[in-house]
Amino acid sequence: MIPVDRFRAVVGDASCIHAPEQLHVYESDGLASYRVTPGIVLLPATTEEVAACVKIAREAGMPIVARGSGTGLSGGALPVQGCALIGLSRMRKVLQIDLENAFMRVQPGVINLDVSKALAPHGWYYAPDPSSQSVCSIGGNVAENSGGAHCLKYGFTVNHVLGVRMVLSDGSVVDVGGPVADQPGYDLTGIIVGSEGLLGIVTEVVLRILRKPEATRTFFATFPSTTEAGNAVSAIIASGIVPAAIEMMDRLAIEAAKAATGVDWPDVGAALLMDVDGIAAECEFTSSNAVELSRQAGALEVRVPRDAAERELMWKGRKSAFAAVGRIARNYMVQDGVIPRGAIARVLAEIADLSAKHGLRVANVFHAGDGNLHPLILFDGRVEGEEKKAEELGGEILRICLRHGGSITGEHGVGADKAIFMPEMFTQQDLETMQRVRCAFDPAQALNPGKVFPSPRLCGDKPGVYRPHPAELSGEAHRT
Amino acid sequence: MMPVSPQEAAEMLRQAPGPLVIVGGGTQLRPGFAANAELVTTLKLNRMVEYAPSDQVVCAEAGMTLATLQAELSRNGQRLAIDPPQPEKATLGGIIAANSFGPLRTRYGSVRDLIIGISVVLSDGTPAKGGGKVVKTVAGFDLPKLMCGSYGTLALITTATFRVHPVQERSITLLARKADPVELVKRVRALQLEPAAMLSVDRDVHFRFEGFAAGVAAQREKLRELEEAPWPAPLDAPVRLKVAALPAQLPQVEKALAPLQARLEWLPMVGIGFAHTQAEAASIAAARRELLALGGSLVVEKAPFALAPLDVFGPPPPSLPLQKALKDRLDPRGVLAPGRFTGGT
Repeated sequence: MIPVDRFRAVVGDASCIHAPEQLHVYESDGLASYRVTPGIVLLPATTEEVAACVKIAREAGMPIVARGSGTGLSGGALPVQGCALIGLSRMRKVLQIDLENAFMRVQPGVINLDVSKALAPHGWYYAPDPSSQSVCSIGGNVAENSGGAHCLKYGFTVNHVLGVRMVLSDGSVVDVGGPVADQPGYDLTGIIVGSEGLLGIVTEVVLRILRKPEATRTFFATFPSTTEAGNAVSAIIASGIVPAAIEMMDRLAIEAAKAATGVDWPDVGAALLMDVDGIAAECEFTSSNAVELSRQAGALEVRVPRDAAERELMWKGRKSAFAAVGRIARNYMVQDGVIPRGAIARVLAEIADLSAKHGLRVANVFHAGDGNLHPLILFDGRVEGEEKKAEELGGEILRICLRHGGSITGEHGVGADKAIFMPEMFTQQDLETMQRVRCAFDPAQALNPGKVFPSPRLCGDKPGVYRPHPAELSGEAHRT
Repeated sequence: MMPVSPQEAAEMLRQAPGPLVIVGGGTQLRPGFAANAELVTTLKLNRMVEYAPSDQVVCAEAGMTLATLQAELSRNGQRLAIDPPQPEKATLGGIIAANSFGPLRTRYGSVRDLIIGISVVLSDGTPAKGGGKVVKTVAGFDLPKLMCGSYGTLALITTATFRVHPVQERSITLLARKADPVELVKRVRALQLEPAAMLSVDRDVHFRFEGFAAGVAAQREKLRELEEAPWPAPLDAPVRLKVAALPAQLPQVEKALAPLQARLEWLPMVGIGFAHTQAEAASIAAARRELLALGGSLVVEKAPFALAPLDVFGPPPPSLPLQKALKDRLDPRGVLAPGRFTGGT
C-alpha cells in the first residue's frame, strides 16, 4: 500500500500525484520508448520535504526515483515499478549569486539556461550547455554530468559543480564540498556528479560561474564529405587551437536542421560549426587560422555570421538537430558514443556500412572536438520489426565505439538504456568496485534501482555463489 | 615493497598482513603518515602505457614522475597542464592521491579536472578501472575523481589517463608589487583577461599570460603599467600549510596567519594557497580555528616529525559518515594507511 496520506501531509495535495491518468505524464523521460507508471509522484518544495518523502517511501518499502525536467535520453528518470517518483521541478530558486567569489547557489529544478540568464546582466555565465539547456534542469545535469558543445574547452558539469546538499537514501541530509576549494576529505562531489541518481537526491547545488569572454568568433564551413571535415578538425586541433566548440553534421543532419529551423545551409556532405572565444585579438587570430586550415582541408564554403542574431541561428540549427530529424523521419533514436578523435573517419565509414546493412538511414551530429558521436537512427515505427532493427543498429554502433577504445556514453548517461552494455566496457571487477561505492551511499539500493548496473546485486553480496543477504532475509530489500 | 607490474602490486596487496602506506616520490608523505606501516613504493611502475598525441590523451603508470611525463609530451608540443611542486620527484599517482597543484590551477583546474581514467588495485587485490581513454565519458561512477585527494587510503593507483593540452606559443609573466590581490582579481574580470596563472607571493602578484602571440600582447597592453619579471621560485620552509578560504577573504586569511610569521603563496582566483612557516603546533592550531570560522580550512602538508601531535587535517567535514562508509567498502580490512585521513578514516 502506498501511504498517500502521509505523502500528502508533507508536500500538499496539489504536489502529491496519484490519480492514474495523471501518473501517465511521468511514465517516461526523454527516452520515450520506455514506459513505466510510477506508484506515486511527489513534487516537494524544500530539502526537508524531499527528506520526509524519502523516509516515508523507505518505510513503505518503495523504491525511489528522482526526476528533474525529464529530458534525459538514457532513461535515467524512468520510473521503476511501484516507485515514489520525486520530481524536483518545484525547487527552482536561485539562492545566492556571489560574483566576487565566482559561485552561485541554486536549487536543482532551476533550468540550465536560466542560470546564465540570471548572470547575463552582470556579464557572467555558466559554461555547461547541453543542447536541451532551455528545458533541462541543473539537478538533472548533476545526475548525468551533462556536457554540451562548449565542454571541449570548458569541461563538463563535474568541472563546474563545487558542492551539493544531498538527501541520502535514509532521509538524512548532508552537505558535500562547497564554494571554498579543497574541503578536507574524499572528493564526494566528484563521485556524486554523474552518479545518475543512485547515490542520493541533490537539493542544492553550488556552481562555479565564469566571467564572459571578451569575444566569440563563429564560423560555419561546408565540405564535400565528413572525411574532409574530419581532416579539418584534426588540422585545427593539431595547430594548437583549443576551440570553445567544434561541431560536425553530415548530409542527413544538415537536411533535417534546414527543414526544422529554416537555416539557409547548402546541401553538402558535411558541415562544421566552430566557436573560438577568449581574448579578442587571440580570437581573430585563431578563427582566421581555423578558416584557412578548413580551406586547405577542402572546405567548399566558409560563412561567418554578420551579427549575434545570425550566430544564434547557426547554433539553433545545430542545437535543434535531434528534434529536427523528426521532420525527415517518422521515428528516430538518438545514440551517444565516444571515440578517439583520430578515429572519426573510420568510425563514420563503419556506421555507414551498418546503416546500409540494416537498411536504416543514420544522421550524424557530433561534438567533433572530443569525439562524441550522436548518430540519429531513422526508422518507421509502423513497420513491423523496424524499431527492433534500429535498436540493434544502435547497439552495434556502441560496440564500434568500444572497439576503437571509446565509451558507450559521452554525456547522455547509462540510465536504463545502456546498463546492458556496461559489461562490454567494464570488467566484472570494475563494476563490483563501483557497486561498493554505491553501497557506501545507499546500502539498501533504494535509489534508482535497475539503472547503470546490469545485474542486481545486494550490498554485501560476494560475486559467484548466491547467498541471501541479511537485508533480504529481514524483508528490508528484495531481489528483482 | 616495490611492485614492477600492476599484477604484482595486486598480489602484494592481497597478501599484505598489516598496514601499508603507498609512496610515490615521497613529496607528500607527511599528511597522516602511519609510522608502523610497511611502505609500498610505486617507483617501478613507471612505464608509458599509451600516448596518442593527435587525440591529446596520455596514459602512464602511477610511478612515473611528472617531469618524465612532461618531457615525453613536450616532444609533441604538448603538456599536462598542472605544475605542482617538485616535478622531478612527484609521481603521477602521488599527485593524484594528494590532489597537489601549482599556479596553473588558475586556468586549468587541478589534476581532478584533467584526469579522465584510472586503474587501481583494491587492498584485497581486486583490479578495477573507471573513466576511460577518451576525453569525454560518463559511463559508470567517476572513480578517477574519487581517487583525487584520497591520500592512498582507498586503493593503489596503478595507471592514470589524462587529457593533455598544447604548449602555448607565447608566455609572459607580469608583476604587480605589493598589490591587493582581491582588487586585481576584480580588475582581471573587468578587463576580461584570462591569465593561465595568477599567484600572489606575500602580495607580490604574478600573472602568467599564455597563448598565441596576439592574445598575449593584447593582455600585456591592458596591464601596461606592470613590469615583466621572472616567475617566482617556489618557497620552502620547515612547515608547509595548505590554506583555503573564499577568494575575497584573503585579508582575513592573512590576519589568521599573521602570528605564524608565514610567507604566503596564494592563488587569488581560486582561494587557496600555501603558508610557509616555522611555527609551533599551538599557533598553527589557533590559525586553523580562525580559518574554520571563516568557512575555510588548513591542512598540514609538511612538518618536522617533532610536531607529531599536530592534527593534520583538522575537524572532519560534515560528510564524515559517508567518507568512512566509502573507506569501509573499498578497504574493508583497513589495510591502506589506516587512520591517515581526516576524522581518522
